Amino acid sequence: MTDPLLSVENLQTYFFTEDGVVQAVDGISFDVMPGELVGLVGESGAGKSVASTSILRLVEDPGRIVGGRVEFKGETLFEIETDDEGTPVENEDATPVETDESLSQQEMRRRIRGREIAIIFQDPMESLNPVYTVGGQLREFIEINRDLGKSAAKTAAIDMLREVGIPEAPARYSDYPHQFSGGMRQRVLIAMALACEPSLIIADEPTTALDVTVEGQILDLVADLQEKYGTAFVWVTHDMGVVAEICDRVNVMYLGEMVEQADVDDLFYDTKHPYTEALLESIPRPDRTVEELNPIAGVMPEAIDPPRGCRFHTRCPDAREACTRIDPDCRVVEDGYSPHRAACIKYDAFGNVGYDASPPLDNETRSGVDVTLTGDGGHQGGDDDE
Amino acid sequence: MGLVRYTTSRVLQAIPVLLGVVTITFVLANAIPGDPVQIMLGPSPSQTQIEAIRARYGLNEPLWVRYVNYVAALLTGDLGQSIYYDVPVTQKILERLPATLLLMLSSYTFAILTAIPLGVISAKRRNKLTDHVSRIVSLIGVSTPSFWIGLMMILIFAFHTNLLPSTNLVMPWADPAGIRGAETRLDVLVMAGQHLLLPMVSLGTLQMAAITRIERSEMLDVLTEEYVKLARAYGVAEQTILRKHAFRNAQLPVITIIGLQLSSAIGGAVLTEVVFEINGMGRLIVDSIARQDYPLIMGTTIVFAFVFVVGVIVTDLSYAYVDPRVSYGEAE
Ligand code: SF4
Repeated sequence: MTDPLLSVENLQTYFFTEDGVVQAVDGISFDVMPGELVGLVGESGAGKSVASTSILRLVEDPGRIVGGRVEFKGETLFEIETDDEGTPVENEDATPVETDESLSQQEMRRRIRGREIAIIFQDPMESLNPVYTVGGQLREFIEINRDLGKSAAKTAAIDMLREVGIPEAPARYSDYPHQFSGGMRQRVLIAMALACEPSLIIADEPTTALDVTVEGQILDLVADLQEKYGTAFVWVTHDMGVVAEICDRVNVMYLGEMVEQADVDDLFYDTKHPYTEALLESIPRPDRTVEELNPIAGVMPEAIDPPRGCRFHTRCPDAREACTRIDPDCRVVEDGYSPHRAACIKYDAFGNVGYDASPPLDNETRSGVDVTLTGDGGHQGGDDDE
Repeated sequence: MGLVRYTTSRVLQAIPVLLGVVTITFVLANAIPGDPVQIMLGPSPSQTQIEAIRARYGLNEPLWVRYVNYVAALLTGDLGQSIYYDVPVTQKILERLPATLLLMLSSYTFAILTAIPLGVISAKRRNKLTDHVSRIVSLIGVSTPSFWIGLMMILIFAFHTNLLPSTNLVMPWADPAGIRGAETRLDVLVMAGQHLLLPMVSLGTLQMAAITRIERSEMLDVLTEEYVKLARAYGVAEQTILRKHAFRNAQLPVITIIGLQLSSAIGGAVLTEVVFEINGMGRLIVDSIARQDYPLIMGTTIVFAFVFVVGVIVTDLSYAYVDPRVSYGEAE
């Protein structure tokens, strides 16, 4: 088996706000193989975006990576020092200490950002600078990340604009972002990512702001280009439909934790985690009417004060008393096409922790959450950035 | 293409504005009670004298005829005859305007050159010592009247320590032969610089403070934009982000503020000229009001309005230059 391109281990990113510590990402692990398209799925607020900015070490104040390790092409991007028991070591200012192998911010900037790992943001309207031409912005990033001169970078930029399906690319090169439609701007951002020739592109909900037709076109485009360039993708989304369409493997996050990891077919046809099941139930499908949609009950709790035990127990239809006590990690529950992991104590992999013996939870005993019907969670629980 | 069309349209739009200013000035000047002829001739003049003067200044025509005549003359650059000085108003204004323009330009230059770096540094070192100092200084700056700053500086630098001159502004283009203590062009320039220093700072402080504040808050704002995050994610150096990706966008509201400051700068120039005894437009307008010299009042007002309108056009054009969306008429 080949080595993973990117390997995230036990990543923890917390936000130290005035109201308390938000455990936005709390110990997630996942791998990305070279050339693979991996989904990172969850509702808004699950910590997907924070996870992706953490990989590039671009977490903004008051956020901080407090634990874990990220390896890329066998090199440690960063690792938080741990003591013998695995607890992160902190210095006098209560700041976690990075190991010596960790790259400095300078090295991250010079060698990793853009050059090795590029990112596509969610909002194509906000991601381009309104006062510079589209071509100029593209050219600048190419110059920095491919060590090309001005004119070579310009040629590369125009080629890439053509490649992502922008008509009359040489003329559009000198246009400003406001002269492009949303879909066209997203193509520009994809061109930006690809033009830097990275090995990995993190796409953070890149089609959420687009309408369905345009979304479809963009997904087709990405699938084609991915095949052509062999770039690996981490596709961050809340949309299981998108996952089904393009991903090879899927990681499902809930409230800062990884709840299920599987090959895309295993995930859809042999769903293990009750949360994933609920997510799948909530996708609109042609064979079901809107009334038959089954949205996930309850609002996602705040990551500032996550439920004890299994974080999903406040909304889980299968929750039992034992779930309020035990916080399951994500472990292999079945082999599948690739190891199928789930964080749910109803599986044998967790041993006999008392799930079968304990009584089911009724609504009253779930810790103080309004149980209401909601959609994909996009309307509550705040942004991923929080 | 967009920029040329935009410029033309902005200039054309200024014409009705100026005409409006001329009309209002004319009406106001004629609505003020008091008879300039009486002031000129002193107590109990003879009826013939009065008639002669009225005829000479065209005051015996009906109001609308005088208005039409005035506008027509204005188009040829003729602003009438000053009653008090008995010279053409245009000549008097041309004599005084350079000093005022010099004062305003230098104080603006001072304000912009200090405020923009200060604001940017403040934003970059947010909540550090430099930021606190610059914020306190600018808060004091916006809340202190310019004439008070001027008087204090005169007290400190001219009266007590004699470091800098506070009166008799030397114009940098003056003939060295006519200036006492100056032999070469360089001497004149140095003297002009010394003379300008205090008035420039006293008039420019308000602008500087206002611009610093807006520059800081705009930079902070822009630094949280998605495109700045994107640039960071593509490995652009923090310096370049500050200088290129964030700076230009942050200047839009700054330009607006600079433009808006023009009216307070004009007001401030009047006070500054009085305080520093500069023979500029400001003192001219004050004196002409005291003497009820109507043609001169109207002339100076119109010229100030003209300066203001030109300033606004320059503001709009720089706005369009910085933000391509403006000239395409699609500003969001
Ligand atoms: S551990 Fe319990 S609460 Fe958590 S997902 Fe499994 S059954 Fe549901």
